[in-house]
Amino acid sequence: MADNKDKPFFVGYLTAPDGLRSFLIGIGIGLILLMAGVGLGIGATQDDPGNGAFRGDYGRQTVTGVMELTPYPVVRVTQGSEHVPEGHTLMLSAGGKQSLMSRVRDLDGQLVTVSGTILDRGELDMMQVRGGQNGISRAEGDAPEMDSEDLGRWRIAGEICDGKCLAGAMRPGTGIAHKACANLCLIGDIPPVFVSTQPVEGSEFLLVVGPDGTIFPKSAYDLVAAYISVEGKVVRHGDLLVFHLEPDTAELVQ
Amino acid sequence: MSVKYIPVQWNPNKWIYDGIMLAGVAAFLWVFIHVTPEILSHERPINSQVHNARAFGACAFLMLSIILAIGPLAKLDTRFMPLLYNRRHFGVMTAFVATAHAGYILNWYFAFSFVPKWDALILSNTNYGQLLGFPFEALGAFALVILLILAATSHDFWLKFLTAPVWKRLHYLIYLAYVSVVAHISLGILQDQQSLFLPVFFIVTAFLVALLHVWAYLAERKTGDPLASAEGDWMRVCQADEIDEGRARIALLPDGKRVAVFKHEGKLSAISNACAHQNGPLGEGRIIDCLVTCPWHGFQYRVTDGQSPAPFTEKIPTYNLRVQDGAVLVDPKANPPGTHVDPVEVA
Repeated sequence: MADNKDKPFFVGYLTAPDGLRSFLIGIGIGLILLMAGVGLGIGATQDDPGNGAFRGDYGRQTVTGVMELTPYPVVRVTQGSEHVPEGHTLMLSAGGKQSLMSRVRDLDGQLVTVSGTILDRGELDMMQVRGGQNGISRAEGDAPEMDSEDLGRWRIAGEICDGKCLAGAMRPGTGIAHKACANLCLIGDIPPVFVSTQPVEGSEFLLVVGPDGTIFPKSAYDLVAAYISVEGKVVRHGDLLVFHLEPDTAELVQ
Repeated sequence: MSVKYIPVQWNPNKWIYDGIMLAGVAAFLWVFIHVTPEILSHERPINSQVHNARAFGACAFLMLSIILAIGPLAKLDTRFMPLLYNRRHFGVMTAFVATAHAGYILNWYFAFSFVPKWDALILSNTNYGQLLGFPFEALGAFALVILLILAATSHDFWLKFLTAPVWKRLHYLIYLAYVSVVAHISLGILQDQQSLFLPVFFIVTAFLVALLHVWAYLAERKTGDPLASAEGDWMRVCQADEIDEGRARIALLPDGKRVAVFKHEGKLSAISNACAHQNGPLGEGRIIDCLVTCPWHGFQYRVTDGQSPAPFTEKIPTYNLRVQDGAVLVDPKANPPGTHVDPVEVA
């Protein structure tokens, strides 16, 4: 259809005609430059994934405290370490996308010693506990009584993430592109975390549980990674807020 | 052209073509993977697996866009025709690059779980009823399956086995793959972007690919092959003196097929316009060394009987032809492929 009457005719297995050679050389060089330029443009303008990370530089941290099953396991620290202060409430996970739940089922309210690697992202942190007895064991002594404070019902806006990737197991560990990974973490009972757009009682991150204090309901998985507004009860466990999310009240926020 | 199947019929042009293509891919990946981490001023780097996945994914999208742009560019300007010549290698390379992207994703986001990776890919997000949070990975996987099918069937063996029309229809799936990739990106990484470069590049590229196709379609409609007009049982193609030596005029016949009337050594012959290889437009080719030469891949045929010269075995239909009052008339009933028809002297 193009008017090729006077244009050089290319046959693949013959030498390119003179009139076409310089054009093809230009196309070839242009293609390589285009690809390098696009690689540079896209690669150099990627968004900041945040400052979350495994803190291998802290070294192994060992703390003692009271195990609480919210139902996600957290430790109310009574004897801290260099990077985990006394009085802190520390979320726990096992390696990979696996929960610690099967190992701590009988330890609710008990004094325990936990050891592992810290992940942190600003105010948010979590410990990836070592395997076996080295990771978690009963501690000597009686567990002190731990209070929790009901802060009432709240409607908050933000994003549900899996707490481990958010804390730095993955960079980036948030957003729609990470949703399937976050769901997979939640299937493994990794603690979900709500990232609120406005601080709630001074905290931007809230551990999320189901409406009756159960694990995060499967019916709410479709809400993960989306920007939503949702209601629920907020309970303070030490310096950690636990959000009893009610999926029926969730609304997508544009 | 070949009398036997070998993995690749290499020639200098294919080496140059593949060399440039590989240099482009290598430049993209090297700059993305090794140069840009030094430029990014993030407090903590993006995980290398994610960085690599993005590099291969973006490269595959760009390659697919270039591949799809070649067709309409070649229709609009025949100087781009050489890019068409070895496009299949470009496609196979794109399938490899896309596979690498999928591998990084599968072995990162879907790893470290008690759920097997492939099960996790399918089951971890089933939010198909909502655009926000749609399992865009499924769209990417669907596109990759298409790319792998097209790569696996790209060899001439499959072209001959399936026949050119079926093979071409199969390879039109590339458009479905592209639409799927566009949706994969739109519903995936684009949802989280704060930087403008990727969204702007993506939208402009996809728009250009679409625009080129529309432009080529409109140009084809405007300057496309004319419908042959009936002269009794014969069809008038053009005036004999409108055909240049060594070139052809193409006309559309009532059965929807195209005939190409060539002038060679002052005599006219009519053959099917569809090359036996990939249905390339023979009438847009030239006569080289007394043989009609396809502009797409250089397959050659004798103009008098539509047969490729020995030892090649390709054949195309011929048409009976006569010249009456200076007009070229063609019998619309095609002769069986390879039928000799005496060329007609131009009066």
